[in-house]
Amino acid sequence: MQRVAKNYLLRSINWRQRRVIIFVVLVAPVFILRLVTSVYPIGNTIWLSFTNTHLIDQTSDFIGLGNYEFMPHDPAIRSALAFTIAKTLIATLMQLFLGLLIALMLNAARKGRNFGRAINLIPWAIPGISAAYAFRWLLDDQFGLIPEWAFLLTGNRPLIFLTALGAQTALILLTVWKSVSFVAILFLAGLQGVPVELYEAAKVDGANAWQNFWTITLPLVMPLVVTMSIFLMIGSLGGIDLVLGLTNGGPGNATTTLGLRIFQEGMRFFKFGYASAISVVLLLLICVLGAFGLLINRKVEVHL
Amino acid sequence: MSQASSVQSRYRINSMLSTGLYYLALTVFTIIVLVPFYWMARASVSNREQILMSPPLYFPTPTLENFGIVAEQVPLVLFITNSVIYATASAVIAVVTSFMAAYAFSRINVRGSGFLQWLLIITVSIPQVALIIPLYQILRSLQLLNTLTGLILVLSSLMAPFTVWVLMSFIKQVPQEIEEAATIDGASLLQILWRIVLPVTTPGIVTMLVINFINGWNDLLHPLSFSSTEEARTLSVAITYIYSYRASWGLPWNLVSTVGMIMVIPVILLVVIAQRSIVSGLTRGAVK
Repeated sequence: MQRVAKNYLLRSINWRQRRVIIFVVLVAPVFILRLVTSVYPIGNTIWLSFTNTHLIDQTSDFIGLGNYEFMPHDPAIRSALAFTIAKTLIATLMQLFLGLLIALMLNAARKGRNFGRAINLIPWAIPGISAAYAFRWLLDDQFGLIPEWAFLLTGNRPLIFLTALGAQTALILLTVWKSVSFVAILFLAGLQGVPVELYEAAKVDGANAWQNFWTITLPLVMPLVVTMSIFLMIGSLGGIDLVLGLTNGGPGNATTTLGLRIFQEGMRFFKFGYASAISVVLLLLICVLGAFGLLINRKVEVHL
Repeated sequence: MSQASSVQSRYRINSMLSTGLYYLALTVFTIIVLVPFYWMARASVSNREQILMSPPLYFPTPTLENFGIVAEQVPLVLFITNSVIYATASAVIAVVTSFMAAYAFSRINVRGSGFLQWLLIITVSIPQVALIIPLYQILRSLQLLNTLTGLILVLSSLMAPFTVWVLMSFIKQVPQEIEEAATIDGASLLQILWRIVLPVTTPGIVTMLVINFINGWNDLLHPLSFSSTEEARTLSVAITYIYSYRASWGLPWNLVSTVGMIMVIPVILLVVIAQRSIVSGLTRGAVK
């Protein structure tokens, strides 16, 4: 009976409807996964941010803007917001600058280039938590290699993780080290996509390498810079592996990022409501960033 | 004549200078990339006395005793197995589901398809940590906390959008005429996917399996948040426990480094083997 009904249904639908059905069947698995683990959670995070949900206290009441009103009085959040933004901006600028330099180096038609390209991938590919511990150990005040060399050079053994500035610098440098290879890979692809004819034409006109860089290479990789900055900033805003392994937010709250704070409030203290409110602040930051990126992207495209 | 030779010698000096600069840059780059590994590798083959020496012992006689000590303290084989299952299963599920969606997006023109693609990209630009609490609640209500199944569900979903994106660029390279001819010959959709599209897009599929495996192997946030028991603990979480275990003589850097090396070595091998494939995937995903 069911089978007959199904056959009848299949025969009655036309070719166009059939295409739609096939389309829906093919995209359904991915979209069901995304709905359950992304779209719904986004809505749920926003809802939770207006409640005092606490797993241990067993509360879950609607408190309006209560969490948001409390945030400016929470010194840990104030410093986390400031440091997160500063870290993201500084790390991204350094990654773009160094990434372009590395890409130029790996694009040179010289020996050692393939070796360089192979090891360039390594920092990007290894686990963030392993990289963080490797750096923590490398910079260890008693037995680390870098403080040891600093001691040999200056007679002073720097206590990197005991000062706010030292720990913050270390975290930013680790962030750069971990992701600059990704930037370099993309720049390299961009450089390889620049038509050789352009350089040949410039050579006829008597342009030197420096002029080539400013008038041909840079304008052509510029759209890439915008896309990449957004990628990098999102990664730096939300990632917790590096900060968790390197400093765990310390000393004090000096290196606590918004992402780490969400994790601590939510998964360590189980203050789901408050952690969600911090998440919403993070989401707003991303929105601002995205809008800014779109704006710049349009401008760059017009200029070309 | 003399002018020509002076231009030539200036050119030679310039090129020598740039050669020198190039090798200097390459050397500095290599050192900066590799020094953290050297320091970690050194600690992983040193015993307790050797890592506490000052000035440090740069090349200790290697010992493998740390692997034994770690294996005694924690179920190391279980954690390695968990990491492998977590990364492999997530990568495979993400690639299978994304391949279907990527095919639909590249070949079937349906109204709203562009919007759905845009929606996929939007959902991955949200930092995962901002969704960790609802995800925790979802897994709890499905009774999937402390299980690899729950972790795999979340991670494969997170991997899907980028995978769809990259696979689309591979599928679009395949000439559509072959598929049309096959349709006329009466091939079903499944046959077309399996016999025609899949073989041609194998490089793309391998690329995304490798990249997704690496991301799964490296993932910390999800296992750290969703598995508090040992059965579903991965290496990335295990290393944080070993780090927080403070021995009477200080941090057990030799043991932390040993687990660190166990996590890093497979990835480095993969990178060496699949370098080209990884680079092509990453650039297709971002450059479009």
